[in-house]
Amino acid sequence: RAEEEAVFSRRNAAVCFCFRDRKEWADLEPVPQDDGPNPVVKIAYSEKFSDVYDYFRALLKKDERSERAFALTAEAIELNAANYTVWHYRRVLLQALSKDLREEMRYITNIIEEQPKNYQVWHHRRMVVEWLGDPSEELEFIAQILSQDAKNYHAWQHRQWVIQEYKLWDKELAFVESLLEDDVRNNSAWNQRHFVISHTTGFSEPAVVERETQYCLNQIRKAPHNESVWNYLKGMLQDRGLSSQPGLLEKVLELKETHCSPYLLAFLFDCYEDALENGVPKDSLDQGCQETLEKALEICKLLAQEKDTIRKEYWQFLGRSLQDRYGGEVSPGDATPTAPASEPQQIS
Amino acid sequence: MAEEEKQFEEFEQIDFLKDRHVRFFHRTLQVLPERYASLETTRLSILFFALSGLDVLDALDVVDSNIMIEWIYSLQVLPTEDKSNLSCCGFRGSSHIGVPYSTKGPGVVHPYDSGHIAMTYTGLCSLLILGDDLSRVNKQGCLAGVRALQLEDGSFYAVPEGSENDIRFIYCAACICYMLDDWSGMDIQKAIEYIRGSLSYDNAFGQGAGRESHGGWTFCAIASLCLMGRLEEALSQRELDRIRRWCIMRQQSGFHGRPNKPVDTCYSFWVGATLELLDVFRYTNFEKNRNFILSTQDRLVGGFAKWPDSHPDPLHAYLGLCGLSLIGEPSLRKVHPALNITQRAFQHLQQLQQTWRESTNSCGGQH
Repeated sequence: RAEEEAVFSRRNAAVCFCFRDRKEWADLEPVPQDDGPNPVVKIAYSEKFSDVYDYFRALLKKDERSERAFALTAEAIELNAANYTVWHYRRVLLQALSKDLREEMRYITNIIEEQPKNYQVWHHRRMVVEWLGDPSEELEFIAQILSQDAKNYHAWQHRQWVIQEYKLWDKELAFVESLLEDDVRNNSAWNQRHFVISHTTGFSEPAVVERETQYCLNQIRKAPHNESVWNYLKGMLQDRGLSSQPGLLEKVLELKETHCSPYLLAFLFDCYEDALENGVPKDSLDQGCQETLEKALEICKLLAQEKDTIRKEYWQFLGRSLQDRYGGEVSPGDATPTAPASEPQQIS
Repeated sequence: MAEEEKQFEEFEQIDFLKDRHVRFFHRTLQVLPERYASLETTRLSILFFALSGLDVLDALDVVDSNIMIEWIYSLQVLPTEDKSNLSCCGFRGSSHIGVPYSTKGPGVVHPYDSGHIAMTYTGLCSLLILGDDLSRVNKQGCLAGVRALQLEDGSFYAVPEGSENDIRFIYCAACICYMLDDWSGMDIQKAIEYIRGSLSYDNAFGQGAGRESHGGWTFCAIASLCLMGRLEEALSQRELDRIRRWCIMRQQSGFHGRPNKPVDTCYSFWVGATLELLDVFRYTNFEKNRNFILSTQDRLVGGFAKWPDSHPDPLHAYLGLCGLSLIGEPSLRKVHPALNITQRAFQHLQQLQQTWRESTNSCGGQH
């Protein structure tokens, strides 16, 4: 039995080529983690894991600036790429040892590909790009990451930083359009569209607004049930007054017959509300306030009862609020009665 | 299957398994397997999820408060003798840096020892939940540490060595200042400018200017403004109505965090709490929300996952409970929607702050 145990432990020791067994590290005293007498939320590390990090802590304590330290950070990162202290220390070493930053770019590229949703790796890449002053690989690299997950928030954030910092606006609209070709419901791509245009031509030019409006209406025809396109359209127009866009209301009313969605109806509601707010009748909205109010309330009712029932309470609330604000005389054709607020919901 | 059995099974499917969740958090407090290694530097926030989760479940009695409190204080980065490290003060996420265990000052001199803003936030919350009076918190250190993390544009780093900077850490800073009842920890005006700058064309908040609006960052923005007491100063009624609309559109069954993304349990809290702060949560569909959250419940090990048939984790377990609490699930304590602790823990905080103010007054000025 004792013999078996001895063989077993020798085999184990041979398997873990620990730092504590390496001659070149004999000068360093490893520093274990110290959680005191009663550790809480303790993570049970293997011998190998503890060994790497015990030596990491030892290096950190002396603030050692050496090749062996640099090599160890790679091992520590492999075990836990979310440890921001390791990354920071690695950056200190990259500079202190004047390491090859191109090689570091290759290194961080691989790590991000394995762990694209980690904050530390993207931050590290940004630092290296800044030191190199060279963003030339970025757009292609990020496109590669986005091809695996087209909505990765870190990737989009990094992309926006690169474009803004190094003024790489040129081909971005085309890139956005290709993503929207792939998936017209990619909200990140719509956001990027807004980002690019607002930083280049801007949205003040009527020609731009017209072009973008057309683009949106085309996308709506292709895929009507898409909140992103409606949010984009509304976002672009809302501060100019939705009801003041010539011909838009008509087009939306047309689409309502063939390409309806809760988003279209909400947009209509917002048009009517805008008309009420601004008071001035505009071409085909040249109706009394009462008619516009009625139309708006009709939309609320349609949404609450049929087209967006999950938000029934909200649409009824909006209807009541609108009624309160613009109601005045109660007309017989009132779509939503001014009932008191609904009973509080019970879940059992 | 017989009619009765079938009905019982259906009932079981939507049953809230309180005891399982208590056990889930209890296990979290003890030992986690090595595959949780990526949580090492944020262990204090995991403690927060477990403690606050147990608090919401009204099951803190299974916890040895004194042990927890000592461990939390051992994570405090205290000023050194010469106070040269004030900008590094706050709380660490764990002992990973290798500083020897100590719950008392003065601070240890170490080239890489510093607090992390989210750990200072969750550390303070955890102490409050455990009934601690924060008397061992070095407030001067914490506030100096937070101040040192704010950038010119109003956002915050997480650590003094530098990190990404965005709206999440504004939220952490606001919570810290709120709890310590001292807004010298941040330049509120600059923070408000950054928050406003993060308001997207579609009427919600991204992590920073130009970025895609997102349920989590929208919570950070609105909750921060509420804690600062500046919600209606920073945002017009029209903007608030538009934000309400964006948030309420996030409900699909449960909630998602961005348009055209799948629903995820944690957004029942991030978006739910935002809607509550904006006074329109009552217009959401409670039943569909509840059914979704419970569909992500792990019936065997307890806890909640982001999606049905996925592995539970402490964050989703905690936020799932908070989501249920918002809709008034019986047997769950109410949660303060901005600070993200129970109302019970919040009342304890209020009492503490009362005591601090009284003692400041009786001493006739500065402490």
